[in-house]
Amino acid sequence: MKIIRLETIALAGLLLLVVPPLCSAQNADAATTNSSDAQKPAAAQDQKTTPDSQGAQTGSQNKPTGQPSDLPNAPSSSKTEPSLEDLGFSPAQTQADAARQALLDKRTHMLKVHQRLGLITAVPLIATVATSLNAGGKNTSTASRDLHTALGGLTGDLYFLTAYYAIRAPRVPGTETRGPIRFHKAMAWIHGPGMIATPILGIMAFDQKNKGEKVHGIAQAHGPVAIVTASAFGAALLSVSVKF
Amino acid sequence: MPMTQLTWMRTFAAGLLLALPLLASAADSQWFLQQSTLTYHVSHPLHQSEGVSHEARGKGICHAGQCDFLIAVPVKSFDSGDSNRDLHMIQVTRGAQFPMVTVRTKLPESASASTTIQADLEIQFAGQTAQYKQVSFQLATQGNEIHLTGMIPATLSDFKIDPPTLLTLPVKNEMPVRVDLTWRPQ
Repeated sequence: MKIIRLETIALAGLLLLVVPPLCSAQNADAATTNSSDAQKPAAAQDQKTTPDSQGAQTGSQNKPTGQPSDLPNAPSSSKTEPSLEDLGFSPAQTQADAARQALLDKRTHMLKVHQRLGLITAVPLIATVATSLNAGGKNTSTASRDLHTALGGLTGDLYFLTAYYAIRAPRVPGTETRGPIRFHKAMAWIHGPGMIATPILGIMAFDQKNKGEKVHGIAQAHGPVAIVTASAFGAALLSVSVKF
Repeated sequence: MPMTQLTWMRTFAAGLLLALPLLASAADSQWFLQQSTLTYHVSHPLHQSEGVSHEARGKGICHAGQCDFLIAVPVKSFDSGDSNRDLHMIQVTRGAQFPMVTVRTKLPESASASTTIQADLEIQFAGQTAQYKQVSFQLATQGNEIHLTGMIPATLSDFKIDPPTLLTLPVKNEMPVRVDLTWRPQ
């Protein structure tokens, strides 16, 4: 009788030893399956990209996902592989956000156009500054003055087109502006009003000159305002181009 | 010895033999990433830029002398000191669509005693998977922690990333990633 009771206790003890590891193994299976669900959107996107990546993804991401669900009793080494959920990343952190990607794509496209137009604008801007030497003063040549005016007009048009692409580029929520872009944006508060004031003052000076008058009044500020505006524009361009 | 006692002893021995492998598996060790610094480097004729992230998380599970490691870091966690560049980086790497960079590798458990290891890495980034064979890492043991440093010779083309341009000039294809990780066993 005693022996039978001892045997029962021993077997119960063995069961207690064996059951917890078996349970943890099952949990590992469940965790692997869950983690594969969390990675599904990314994996699905991966497969769209290239045939090469399809093969690679099948070999990597699908390895832990496919085996436990297809063959629940099959021994799998993937049980031991950690998953993103094991690392404590929430599904929100790991899931694809197509809307945000579209926003970023649109922003980049518009800022690329802004960058190109800014570079193009710099050409007539430099030419306008260069032709200003013969446009004012005692020189009465209307040809050089007209050329300066035309180049100034072209610069203004291109400038506002450039500005449009920067202003209309979508903002990305939750992004704090840091780095040289802050200086670039600050310069816009100088060259923006300057690009409005310079042509107005230029037209006034142009009219006075054409009437044979000496440039007077507020029109005298055309040159200094233009220099400050061009300098701010140049500084803005350099701030995002060259590392200081 | 009575027959019943002999039977009981045989049952107990068989039970122990069955239980031992399971007990052994329960004793598997794990490694956790304590601290991390990942730095990517991008070269442009006018700029040399670096983006740093300290937000990587990692885990290693060792089983039967073999350890499976997973390190993951959000793409948006890399900071280059220029918010405009960081947003552009997320865009070109399709970081909103594929928000995580994951690195998987398998190493023998005995590698923790070495000073240098060669690891085969499988990196998922920007919706692509790239394999890097025999990447060299230096190991330094500090107490019960292991400090791992090395450089992953990543390139933009490995992940089919269009090189970003500045003033119409593209950045170089090379995008090495400096790795500095501190691991601790559980």
